[in-house]
Amino acid sequence: MMDSREARSSAAITGSSAVPARALPSVAEHSATAQTRAVRALWIAGRWLLLALVIGFFLLPIAFLASTSLKTKDDVLSGNFLPATIFWQNWPDAFRSIELLLFMRNSVIAAGLSALLTLLIAVPATYAMVRFGAGGKHLYTFVLASYTAPPVVALVPLFFLLRRLNLIDSLIGLALVYGLANVPVAVWLLDSFIRQLPQAIEEAAWVDGAGIAGTLVRIVTPLIAPGIVATGIICLILSYNEFLFAVTLTYRPETQTLPVGIALFQGDRLVNFGQMAAASLTGMAPVYIVALFFQRWLIRGLTTGAVK
Amino acid sequence: MVLRTAVAPRFSSRGLWPRLMVAPLIIGLTIFAVYPLIYLVFLSASKSALGRTFQAWVGLGNYRTALEDTVFTQALVRSVVFAVPVTAIEVLAGVGIAVLLSNTRRGGNVFRTLILLPLMTPPIMVATSWKLIFHPTGGLLNGVLQSLGLTDRPISFLGSSRWAFPAIAVADFWQWTPFVILLAYASLQTLPSEVQEAALVDGASGVRAFVSVTLPLLGPALAAIFLLRVILAFKVFDLVYSLTFGGPGFDTNIGTFQIFRMAFRQFDVGYAAAQTIVFGLLVGVVTLPIVIARNAMIRHWT
Repeated sequence: MMDSREARSSAAITGSSAVPARALPSVAEHSATAQTRAVRALWIAGRWLLLALVIGFFLLPIAFLASTSLKTKDDVLSGNFLPATIFWQNWPDAFRSIELLLFMRNSVIAAGLSALLTLLIAVPATYAMVRFGAGGKHLYTFVLASYTAPPVVALVPLFFLLRRLNLIDSLIGLALVYGLANVPVAVWLLDSFIRQLPQAIEEAAWVDGAGIAGTLVRIVTPLIAPGIVATGIICLILSYNEFLFAVTLTYRPETQTLPVGIALFQGDRLVNFGQMAAASLTGMAPVYIVALFFQRWLIRGLTTGAVK
Repeated sequence: MVLRTAVAPRFSSRGLWPRLMVAPLIIGLTIFAVYPLIYLVFLSASKSALGRTFQAWVGLGNYRTALEDTVFTQALVRSVVFAVPVTAIEVLAGVGIAVLLSNTRRGGNVFRTLILLPLMTPPIMVATSWKLIFHPTGGLLNGVLQSLGLTDRPISFLGSSRWAFPAIAVADFWQWTPFVILLAYASLQTLPSEVQEAALVDGASGVRAFVSVTLPLLGPALAAIFLLRVILAFKVFDLVYSLTFGGPGFDTNIGTFQIFRMAFRQFDVGYAAAQTIVFGLLVGVVTLPIVIARNAMIRHWT
């Protein structure tokens, strides 16, 4: 605590002395400020260089994937970053050697249905838990605790449950599993959005005669719409990207999702790296478009939960 | 005031609607958490194959086998050895980058948007990208190493006992460090600006001020990020499946992958159930101290 006060007062001193020093520099002060200015410039340049390196690292694999997708079969073996000549043929060929569009369709169906299910469960439940303490203190704790268990724990039991329900190897079954799996994430994200709402608005709605359900549908839902959209998108992406359940609960191309399709394509002994890169990029494109389009909401959604 | 007392009783859990609203959640939890747990306990006490379950009761037999099975116990050790250090490195690097970023006025938004991409990439495609980089023939890393004259023969990173595990860790670092950066950056923004200004005046004294001022304030948030990352790191499966399939040998065979292999490749689901329960307990044992530490930090600093 002592240190923080020290630091704050030293900031006040440097802050107040900097202005007169610049207005009326004496010789000694001038060289001092020139020195600090040089240090500061170096510091800023160093920072930018570091950030550039960081960005370079995080974009490198995507860039190399893109570059590989434009290489010929022989060029792939060169180990160079850039293709020797641009070879577009991998892209149409990728669509021919793997049923990309079918896999993507399956992924979108499973992800869409599951996100809908997650929101239908999580929005009313979170509202009831946050505002009315429904389910008591333990329900909320239990929801979050269930997320700490690795999904592999539920894998074998769910496999038998789906088989009994005749939902094994079906998109409905997969969507059901995803929908339930993502509920803790959704509750956790929605919680902070609901808490931020002033209770007075809801109280006013009740005075006007709206019931609890009416208030949720007509007042609360529109007000937390950004939170619901962010939550929905995060659940969509989680389901679209999921692999463990998809690879164990589906078997036919008609039900397999994109990550499974790509993983199987990769496992092929005669895999063509150029085509594999093109197929992977095609599968990543929808997520990237959503991420870039909704980046503000996504970042807010991802961070509000953690920074409570 | 009159209004408040008139309405306040309705903010209670006793009505019909609040109960109706949590009912689907409770049903969902029953299907996804309660039922699997009960089913696993029974399954683990039985001799069961994927095609024919509950052939005989074996009591604790599967657990005894599990604890004596070095392939399994080593997989558990590997899960911990993966989750904890990888998380520590990611949190350290992520917080460092977030601090760097919070000192930069321009370009912050562009940076945060670009950094979102690794996080959003399907893990199987993360594996594809890194496979291309690590590949012995035509891989970028081998290309660079050879052109720098550091190696004369291409290294099969994913096929070597020495490099396969670090290679998976690098792919995981690439995917998840952005998450830490975003969370740490958001936490930094919640600090009062005067404290931040004080803490980050300039280079030399900035480092000291950061350690003694910002870091303690950030403590509880960092513990939460660490906890979340450890939990997620124990779930890793896709990267192992796609990059090494547990190999070479069993060198990258971690808990999740071992359970998957036992249930869906060797079809011994009774044994897999026992392994699952032991693995679940292990995850609890590792994460619980972090929960306790975080709660202690919150009590200590606020």
